[in-house]
Amino acid sequence: MSKIINMLVGGALLAAIPVSTTNADGIDPGDVTDMLHAVMDSDRTIYTKMIVGRLVAEHKLITATENFEDDISAPLPAQMFRMGAEAVADRTDLFEYSLQSLWPINKPNAENQTELEKEGLAFVADNIGENFYGEEVIDDLKYFTAVYADVAVAEVCATCHNEHKDSPRTDFKVGDVMGGVVIRIPLDG
Amino acid sequence: MIKRNHLLWFLWTLLSVVGITVIMGFVFFGGPRHLLLIGKTTAAHGQIELACESCHTTGLVDNLTKSPKKLAAAMTKACGTCHLEELSAANDSHPTKKFRGAKKAKTRAQLNAFYCQTCHAEHVPEITRPMAVSLPQDLCVACHSKIGEERESHVGLEFTTCASAGCHNYHDNSALYEAFLVKHGHGEDFLPHAIQEFAAESRSPSIIRTALAKEDPVFALKTYLNEKQIKTDDESNEPLNAETKAKLSSQAQEMLDLVLYAKDVIAPAKYLDEDAVHAWETSAHAASGLNCASCHAPELKDSMDLVALEENWTEKPSLQVCSDCHQDQATTFTQGKHGMRFHPELAAPRVVEADGPMSVAATFFKDAPLGPITVGESARKDLMKPDAHDMQIGSCNTCHKPHEVNLEVASVEACTTCHNDDHTQNYFNSTHFELWQLELAGEGAPGSGVTCADCHMPKVEAKEGFFTSHNQNDFLRPNEKMIRPVCMSCHGLGFSIDALADPKLVESNFNGRPSKHIESIDWALKREE
Repeated sequence: MSKIINMLVGGALLAAIPVSTTNADGIDPGDVTDMLHAVMDSDRTIYTKMIVGRLVAEHKLITATENFEDDISAPLPAQMFRMGAEAVADRTDLFEYSLQSLWPINKPNAENQTELEKEGLAFVADNIGENFYGEEVIDDLKYFTAVYADVAVAEVCATCHNEHKDSPRTDFKVGDVMGGVVIRIPLDG
Repeated sequence: MIKRNHLLWFLWTLLSVVGITVIMGFVFFGGPRHLLLIGKTTAAHGQIELACESCHTTGLVDNLTKSPKKLAAAMTKACGTCHLEELSAANDSHPTKKFRGAKKAKTRAQLNAFYCQTCHAEHVPEITRPMAVSLPQDLCVACHSKIGEERESHVGLEFTTCASAGCHNYHDNSALYEAFLVKHGHGEDFLPHAIQEFAAESRSPSIIRTALAKEDPVFALKTYLNEKQIKTDDESNEPLNAETKAKLSSQAQEMLDLVLYAKDVIAPAKYLDEDAVHAWETSAHAASGLNCASCHAPELKDSMDLVALEENWTEKPSLQVCSDCHQDQATTFTQGKHGMRFHPELAAPRVVEADGPMSVAATFFKDAPLGPITVGESARKDLMKPDAHDMQIGSCNTCHKPHEVNLEVASVEACTTCHNDDHTQNYFNSTHFELWQLELAGEGAPGSGVTCADCHMPKVEAKEGFFTSHNQNDFLRPNEKMIRPVCMSCHGLGFSIDALADPKLVESNFNGRPSKHIESIDWALKREE
């Protein structure tokens, strides 16, 4: 008898636990990329301001350089971002992201930009404060692609890009859109 | 007549099936497996090409059912088993991950370097070039086609010259990247006080032996340890406190207590060779408190039972025994051509389940480990001494004289026992050899002479101090890998790049000066102006 009571109580408890927190249609991919970007952008901004801006530029306690391993220095914010993207790609192929620009320092990186990506980069540069969303097919797979403006949040962002010998643009100021974060989610599973 | 024909056909089919099964079983399990090769592999892989599953990690079922992408990924993963660590240490300029994801689709369409075998196909000797590259030499054009538009210095350069002119490598550019060229671009050809730092430390007299020769060995050793500690704490520049001094004093005493002498030797009488005991007594092994059994009967290393020791005695200790203490050396040994047949990740001999269909064949034809390679099996045996062809390479004592206190033999003589190419022969007429002779004669400082091992098996940084890399091939693929750990101890970067890019100069063992100048440093410095 006690077993039957236990089963009934257990069954009632299990039934009370929600099966899923999502609605029947799932989460809108635009909301997902917005959430992902919020995390990326916050981390990136804090690294740029608190490490590079504060410890490198302001207090000159450490340096941040492109060849950070040989120089025993801190990675540049863009490198920190790229390493994060690579670490994510090591763990999952449910989404991917990268930093892109219409004025790239690393030219081969921009060789891969799709037409939609270029359109998005131009859009976020021309429409301050707005994001770009679209869908595209790459290698027979359908992707939801979002582009978010990458803004020069600190003086070091602008000066570093302006002074880099491979930079095709040398008039960036704080607050300027320097490129974009591109996030892709495969829609075909 | 018809019945007789049927019977003959049946017998013919049956015998054919049995015959083919026996032949395939024989070939597959320990027979002449090379008959199954679709083409010879590259020189290094040739040593292990019959341990097929080392690279072909997917089984027959996977090969028939998995997608080509998954099979290619599995093969790339297998490459990484042996090569990933080396690539990572070199800060690989083109790791496979650079080519993954949707964002790299365009690049992959040109050059799918997400998989190692895109550039390094195997079993195709007819199209394989140096560094085991099986693609045409202009492969860089796939991604860098616009470099001529971006860099004035690169206008009109052929893409076949990117990696062949001494400027770039696909994977290892640790001594060739632009900022490094700029930083070291003004170096002189010959540094004024040319000393290989780690070699100097390695070849300096033993601190324990030096201390023992003093009136107060504990004080002498403590003084040395004090100086070393102060040097380590260089940045603080503060004198050591009393507690640290007492600790060092106790450490010195402990080190000296470990030292063993001829009177302490423990070995069965038949092995007590006078020369061996004398050599051992003056060795680092005796100075570290290691008696004979530590190597010759490691299971009984603390035993005084001479009968038991004799029963368990191994005259020539194996690589495994040495590796218990010399782990870094042993690991790197199995990564180079001398020891790669002992790489721990190499596929084990094939076994078959007792109830499997091939069990009958497996009963008769058993697979065996590859075992050590002989010099005569080398892909370049034409460059080896004929009388060394029967020599097996696969244990430490092939090159190291047992019990020998110094490493002179292993540094030059051991190499020339087998190697007979022009570069090796010309070493004995080279400045490097001259400096080595001066060092041996005590006229040159420790670390000022240059041996074969100094260049090909450099001493590299470890977690604690340094160790001698025993992967002599690592620093030859490509030879610019020697620049940082070797050449730049004594030479400027520009001279090193020029010298290594001159095949004739390499062949002559650097007797003379580079015949051509590589302009990469000039171009890098010009961009700085």
